[in-house]
Amino acid sequence: MPDALREKLSAAVGPANVLTGIELSPYVVEGRTPEAAVFPGSIDEVAAVVGLAAEAGVPVTPWGGGAAASVGTPAARAGLVLGLRRMSRLLEHEPGDLTATVEAGITIGAFQTALRSRGQWMSLDPADAERATVGGVLATNASGPRRHLYGTARDLLIGVTVVTADGAVVRGGGKVVKNVAGYDLPKLFVGSYGTLGVIVEATVKLRPLPDHEQLQAVPFERLKDTGVAVKAMMGSDLIPSAIELLDAAAASSAGLAGDAPPGGALLVVGFDGPREQVEWQCAELARLIAPLGGRQARPLEAEAWPRLAAAASTALPATAAVMTFSVLPSLVAETMDQGAGIARARGLHTAWAAHAGVGAVRAALASDAAPHEPDAIVTVLGEWREMARAGGGHATLEWAPLAVKSRVPVWDDPGAAGRVMQRIKAQLDPGNILNPGRFIAGI
Amino acid sequence: MTTPTPTSALAPVGPLSLHGLSVEGVNQCVHCGLCLAYCPTFSELGTEMDSPRGRIFTIKSLAEGRMALSDSAVRHLSLCLDCRACETVCPAGVPYGRLIEAAKAEIERQKPGALSRRLFRWLNFGLLLGHPRLLALAAAGARLYQTSGLQRLVRTSGLVRLLPGTLPAWEALLPPVPSKADRVAPPRTTLAAPPRRARVALLTGCIQAVVFGAHNRATARVLARNGCDVLVPEGQGCCGALNAHGGDHARAQAMARETIETFEAVPADFVIVNTSGCGAHMKAYGHLLADDPAYAERAKRFAATVRDVAEFLAQEPLRGPLQAVTLTCTYHDPCHVVHGQKIKSEPRRLLAQIPGLRVVELPESDWCCGSAGIYNLTQPEMATRLLHRKVGHVLETGAEAVVTANPGCILQIQAGLGAHQSGVRVLHLVEILDRAYGGGA
Amino acid sequence: MATLTDSRKRELRRELETLVGPGAVLSDPDELLVYESDGLTLFRALADFVVFPTSAEHVSAIVKLAHRERLPFVARGAGTGLSGGCLPAEGGVVISLMRMNRVLEVDYANQIAVVEPGLVNLHLSWNVGPRGYYYAPDPSSQQACTIGGNIANNSGGPHTLKYGVTTNHVLGLQVVMPDGEIVWLGDRTRDAQGYDLAGVFVGSEGTFGIATQIVVRILKKPQAVKTVLAVFDQIDSASAAVSAVIARGLVPAAMEMIDHLTIQAVEDAFNCGYPRDADAALLIELDGLAVGMEAQAERIVEACRDAGARETRTAKSEAERQLLWKGRKSAFGAYGRVSPAYMVMDGVIPRTKLPYVLSRVNEIVAAHGLRVGNVFHAGDGNLHPNILYDPRKPGEEERVVAAGAEIMKVCAAVGGSISGEHGIGLEKADFMPFIFSAADLSLMQRLKSAFNPTGLCNPGKIFPTKKSCVEVGPVAYRPHAIEEKGLAQRF
Repeated sequence: MPDALREKLSAAVGPANVLTGIELSPYVVEGRTPEAAVFPGSIDEVAAVVGLAAEAGVPVTPWGGGAAASVGTPAARAGLVLGLRRMSRLLEHEPGDLTATVEAGITIGAFQTALRSRGQWMSLDPADAERATVGGVLATNASGPRRHLYGTARDLLIGVTVVTADGAVVRGGGKVVKNVAGYDLPKLFVGSYGTLGVIVEATVKLRPLPDHEQLQAVPFERLKDTGVAVKAMMGSDLIPSAIELLDAAAASSAGLAGDAPPGGALLVVGFDGPREQVEWQCAELARLIAPLGGRQARPLEAEAWPRLAAAASTALPATAAVMTFSVLPSLVAETMDQGAGIARARGLHTAWAAHAGVGAVRAALASDAAPHEPDAIVTVLGEWREMARAGGGHATLEWAPLAVKSRVPVWDDPGAAGRVMQRIKAQLDPGNILNPGRFIAGI
Repeated sequence: MTTPTPTSALAPVGPLSLHGLSVEGVNQCVHCGLCLAYCPTFSELGTEMDSPRGRIFTIKSLAEGRMALSDSAVRHLSLCLDCRACETVCPAGVPYGRLIEAAKAEIERQKPGALSRRLFRWLNFGLLLGHPRLLALAAAGARLYQTSGLQRLVRTSGLVRLLPGTLPAWEALLPPVPSKADRVAPPRTTLAAPPRRARVALLTGCIQAVVFGAHNRATARVLARNGCDVLVPEGQGCCGALNAHGGDHARAQAMARETIETFEAVPADFVIVNTSGCGAHMKAYGHLLADDPAYAERAKRFAATVRDVAEFLAQEPLRGPLQAVTLTCTYHDPCHVVHGQKIKSEPRRLLAQIPGLRVVELPESDWCCGSAGIYNLTQPEMATRLLHRKVGHVLETGAEAVVTANPGCILQIQAGLGAHQSGVRVLHLVEILDRAYGGGA
Repeated sequence: MATLTDSRKRELRRELETLVGPGAVLSDPDELLVYESDGLTLFRALADFVVFPTSAEHVSAIVKLAHRERLPFVARGAGTGLSGGCLPAEGGVVISLMRMNRVLEVDYANQIAVVEPGLVNLHLSWNVGPRGYYYAPDPSSQQACTIGGNIANNSGGPHTLKYGVTTNHVLGLQVVMPDGEIVWLGDRTRDAQGYDLAGVFVGSEGTFGIATQIVVRILKKPQAVKTVLAVFDQIDSASAAVSAVIARGLVPAAMEMIDHLTIQAVEDAFNCGYPRDADAALLIELDGLAVGMEAQAERIVEACRDAGARETRTAKSEAERQLLWKGRKSAFGAYGRVSPAYMVMDGVIPRTKLPYVLSRVNEIVAAHGLRVGNVFHAGDGNLHPNILYDPRKPGEEERVVAAGAEIMKVCAAVGGSISGEHGIGLEKADFMPFIFSAADLSLMQRLKSAFNPTGLCNPGKIFPTKKSCVEVGPVAYRPHAIEEKGLAQRF
């Protein structure tokens, strides 16, 4: 990086907030070291940093907690890491309005703690809450088990402030829960992986904390039977907050080893609301599941919640790849069963977990062979992707070593929509400095 | 290039009318569009000109002078069924029926059409409907045409295709005219089965009297069983509803005056009507004759005594004993009963009292069947589309019979079911009630 | 955009007819006239053609022709919109989607339906109702408005308080892009890849293309529903009750405010059962599990009582409940009984600002010598002041427009928005700077360029024009061409 740029950056954010050299080790992704990491303390400073980078043509990677830093196609050019950890305030919380505005660098954990003290919460429960930031979660569209009832970031984000590639500060949406004035910019930035702008502030909808919450674990001898059980539940009067389906390996990593029979599966269902409603639902669940191959349901302690979100990714000792699938909910059990079979045929191990009611499946893949045998892994990932497509869905390679990523595209082919995405990128970041090359369709 | 302009640019001042007939009601329309999906023609075509909102707007534009009565305006206004489904759902209370009648009168004034059409209208509206004896003569002629084999010849030989204008459609829909014995009117007086509840006068109608004389006789019997002295005023003619709907305003007024006079001559508490359009129209006599000082008050008083037969009967539980009628039926709401008179629950309440009768709801029961007065003759294409829709729903229900309460609907639905080779029968409400009372035997 | 000559118009009409068939193209001025407005009659504009496609291929062919001819085009559903969004502001082609109104597929196992844009919103619920499902977004015009129109405006409705607006229920769309290409944005699964194009498309007011198939979520009908009417002698107490309910951690399915004037109109229309002497009423609905509902209802009743409700009553039958909702949902139209015209505003404010903003609204309207009826989604803070006026009275329309602008400024000043569900369209394009900076609008313009680079797809909407409509004002009366020719006269 030219000294001149470094000096300008130091002037913009203060020398203590520009890291270089050995200090950059936490920001090394897949063996690539950024040129510098910059930590602005205000929106104006973010704008200044992006403006300087744009002027110099240096790429910028927005960085929250780094929880998803390795997701995506590796960057073609090294550039600046733009860290938002100094911007972590809760700016506004009006309980009567059920909304709150935060700076993007606040962690999910800190935000929820503040809200909980006033009887509310943001109904989004992604993994790694102590590390993941609101900005990062929005940018990567991360979510957790309760998305079944409460939706994902796109359903909660009502206002967003971003610094765009030209260093402008842009606000989209607003602070009210219903708003159709102008285009829905919050939707544009959710899940855009920092390629269109740096999210610096966000306003989200909140909910009152439920009076009571209960997780029920239902073991199944056979994974296959869970499909019918989930369908029955979805067609019933039950209003679960989460329907998690774990195979034995994932259940074990979630600390529920004793619950899922070997080769079987564990259905974990969450309920919340007034106590009598939760109790009624637990009983109704038992009644519904009994004839469908489910064993006796067991209540789980609340601590199981966060472990569910990360169950598959952390299940295998030497994970070689993690793939996520978006499929029709009716195909979840089949996807897991068939996908495990594909891997088994190549001698590979898998762990599977799904938000079964919404069709979001995550699988980890591991090989006994050390070093990893990329051929088999590459083959299995390719077949998995085909499997997802055949069911009308798609698959994303969430994590894999470079050797695998170089042979299996991280993102699936978006078809003609990819061209629309490219045009949006070209309009908003004509210099291609925001996370260049990391995202779908070469964006 | 057109640029959006605020409306006041062209808004005139003063009450709106079409050649003397007030259409000021157009200003009640706030353009919300809640009527759209309930309009049969809009649902079929999707064109705004064929929607209530579009027609109101067209009438408004005509009255404001923004638009001349072009052929296309005539076409779209004429395509209106006048079923008044839009009135039922209109939150603003636009008096749509009156507006479309004024528009149709304006069409007749400005565009009476070719000589053959005018002749045709005169023959029907002027001559037959207004003169019961001529109508009876025509019925006899039609009966002869149907029974002599001539009809079969016309139909099978293809001669029918040589008929001009809408005559082929007329021919196809010409109802089978019953024998003379079956065309007789009910007795001039039928005494109530005690205890007496009321004295009523029965409208026997014009076409109704010819084609469905049996319904009139059944109506008299059912009313009598329910405590009514039933009087049938002599010399009664057509109420003028068809004229009004067809834009023949002046003659409609004349017929209304005659009808009022005829009925005033008998000492009845209520005037009972068993046909949909007549009931709705006679209830609106007050409005029709509002500008006639000699008749305004009389018309209002008269209108207040008019009752649809179901509306009247449903005020009290049916008097027993009722025999079982083992049948599954469904009920079709005639437009001018359900929308014109807002009578929806009454016929259903009556049917529910008949032992053995199973009533299943008809999807879109309050949608026009396409009959709509003489609409099936003047707009055969749209009428057929709506009839298919209606028959499809009837067949979906699996009912053995469709019960309704209007001769036009009966003929139309019968024709539609016949085209489907369906065995489903079409009955007037009074027929099924009459059967529960043991029939006319 | 150049004006088409008559002969060119005839040629184009013929060409359009070859694309979509005879009987599917309108160009007769009398027929075009009824398309000059949507649900907001304050604005009107004439198209050169109205075309009725029946397939995505038709739409694509029409769009390609328009593109070739540099003719602006705009999609139109039922025309119940309230912001002039589907007006052909600059002439050209109106593409009516009313003949694309089928439910193409219902997948109950995955709780999705694939529908065409011209499908009437309520008809989808009717279609899936017998199997125990419904489509949640329920704009008050749902008996007439189309799903395609809902997509354009990201429509809400009373029950969006609990269930979210249209965008929360749309998974994917088949779209004819402004250059005629047919593209799928999103798909049938929940997590689309890449940018959330379906999310961006919904609410773009027809400026990003024309949706020809829509994948929506359908929901299981709730096990139980409870509808409570809380009656207030003071509208301020009703406003306070809204906050009180939320503050107690209760989120009803719907919480609607109906003021005194509106109660008169809807009672005149349908005798719905709202007490005529009330200053305001809150229509509150709970839905979900039967167990525990009674207790929740009690907590809500208690909150209303504490806030000053003089009376609360619960709908005792489904018929009674439907009647109350019929009144609420017909309210706009019912103003036709008390006024020849109205303009509905659509501001959103933080719920806690409700009492302040409502009193400001009443002050502003009174200061302009006009009347206002309020009927709105109180639980969401989505106001609908309906300013009543008579377009035939000189000067009233200008006062309405001026009062509307002031109300919007108040909404903006308390941190709210200038539209909660009706869209910006033509009506509020010039109000956009109340809440968005030049940089915000510039980004939106660039986003629009990505979809609609030529600007032919629904031009003149959303973005402020140089001259404010308030400044333009009404134009003086001119005789219509047919009057000049002596073909018609004013009475």
